[in-house]
Amino acid sequence: MLVPVLAIGALGVVAVMGVVAAFIITGWLGQPVPVLGFEQTFDQPIDFPHTVHASLKQLDHIPADGQSMSGLGLDCTFCHRTVTTQANAGVPPVGFCATCHQVIGAADNEQLTILRDAADIIGDDGAEPVNWQRVHRLPDHVRFVHEPHIRYLTQNPSEIKNSTDGVTEGPSGVCSTCHGNVAAMEQIEQVESLKMGQCVDCHRDNGAPTDCVACHH
Amino acid sequence: MTTAEFGSHNWGMVVDVDKCIGCNACVIACQAENNIPINTQDRVERARSISWIRVERYWEGDFPDAKARFIPIMCQHCENAPCEPVCPVYATYHNSEGNNVQVYNRCVGTRYCANACPYIVRFFNYWEPVWPESLRNHLNPDVTVRSRGIMEKCSFCVHRIRRGSRQARSEGHEVVDGAIQTACSTACPTSALNFGNFNDPNSKVSKMKEDQRHYTLLDQFATDPNVIYLAKIDADKKVGAGEAATHG
Repeated sequence: MLVPVLAIGALGVVAVMGVVAAFIITGWLGQPVPVLGFEQTFDQPIDFPHTVHASLKQLDHIPADGQSMSGLGLDCTFCHRTVTTQANAGVPPVGFCATCHQVIGAADNEQLTILRDAADIIGDDGAEPVNWQRVHRLPDHVRFVHEPHIRYLTQNPSEIKNSTDGVTEGPSGVCSTCHGNVAAMEQIEQVESLKMGQCVDCHRDNGAPTDCVACHH
Repeated sequence: MTTAEFGSHNWGMVVDVDKCIGCNACVIACQAENNIPINTQDRVERARSISWIRVERYWEGDFPDAKARFIPIMCQHCENAPCEPVCPVYATYHNSEGNNVQVYNRCVGTRYCANACPYIVRFFNYWEPVWPESLRNHLNPDVTVRSRGIMEKCSFCVHRIRRGSRQARSEGHEVVDGAIQTACSTACPTSALNFGNFNDPNSKVSKMKEDQRHYTLLDQFATDPNVIYLAKIDADKKVGAGEAATHG
């Protein structure tokens, strides 16, 4: 009489624990939060080093020609041109990369070969876009616009968090608040959770609207 | 504080029924602007069609002296909205800018709000929306595509409001009257639909709603809508403001 009751009870406990475990596992795997190393980062079609382009420091990165070099210290807006005026930061077209890289960089550099092939500088199979993997991705029901955020943080530098290699002025100085120190990243990864709680906290601290339709519409 | 702050407006619409010619341009404009699924014949027959704004047609008089009358009806953005208190998850509420807001990611699809709405302007997504391959790139990126199980309704083109006030803040001035327009009011060839800020006494809509022809739909329910109608003028038949109110 007692045994079947205990068996059913044990089954119930196992079932509940299974459901809880499923939630936790999907939560971890589904979130871009760095929990136990689940950082959201992707291997890109070209190993684009933000260090070389954006950093102001002497680099550990050794280019193909073996000589040590310092970062170029380009402003973020040099490539992400629409970030101060539009919703999207924008990834430059291949032709834009090619304006420098048809001359700069060793001819036998494997990564640059991919780029030059895509830009049709070498080969004759026509220009084609590079299929970059998006790292910072918001859900479909969120409408994020870069322009007002860049503008506000530029006007209120005290609210800037993190730092891009010590840069505090201009658009590059403010990007680090959400994107971290991109200039130190060989491969871009998401360092902030960029979940709604973080957005709302910052909006509340800075007197920005916390109305739902500010972002959800 | 900078200008064009959030909450400093009360958005509303004045619909001059006298100017409406029933062309349905507003319906098409809304459909395209707001990523509304295509209403197939099958869906219309099952009363499952979605149109945030519709033009209701009715006849006055008998043939051959019949007159076609039109009235565009969209969400009335009631200050005292019947749909809001019935939502168990606070997915629809009245924000500080006078909009009756539908938050898609909060909605769990109880459909209580659609039952409560006396204007029948709330629509439920019974299916996942699909578009033919030829329309793959036509979706408006500023508007969320509603998935199955979500209630939706006219938003007063809130994405256009957000964009307009963002531009005004960026340029450091107040939102200019008429700068923010909804898709339907832009498309209206006779300016029957007028969108603007009721908080500004000098705005076009504030002046229009002082017209003695003004009335609101179903005002016996005291919903206090933000959509004001101006009654039809008929040379043959004197229609006063009070009488016109029974049209709804």
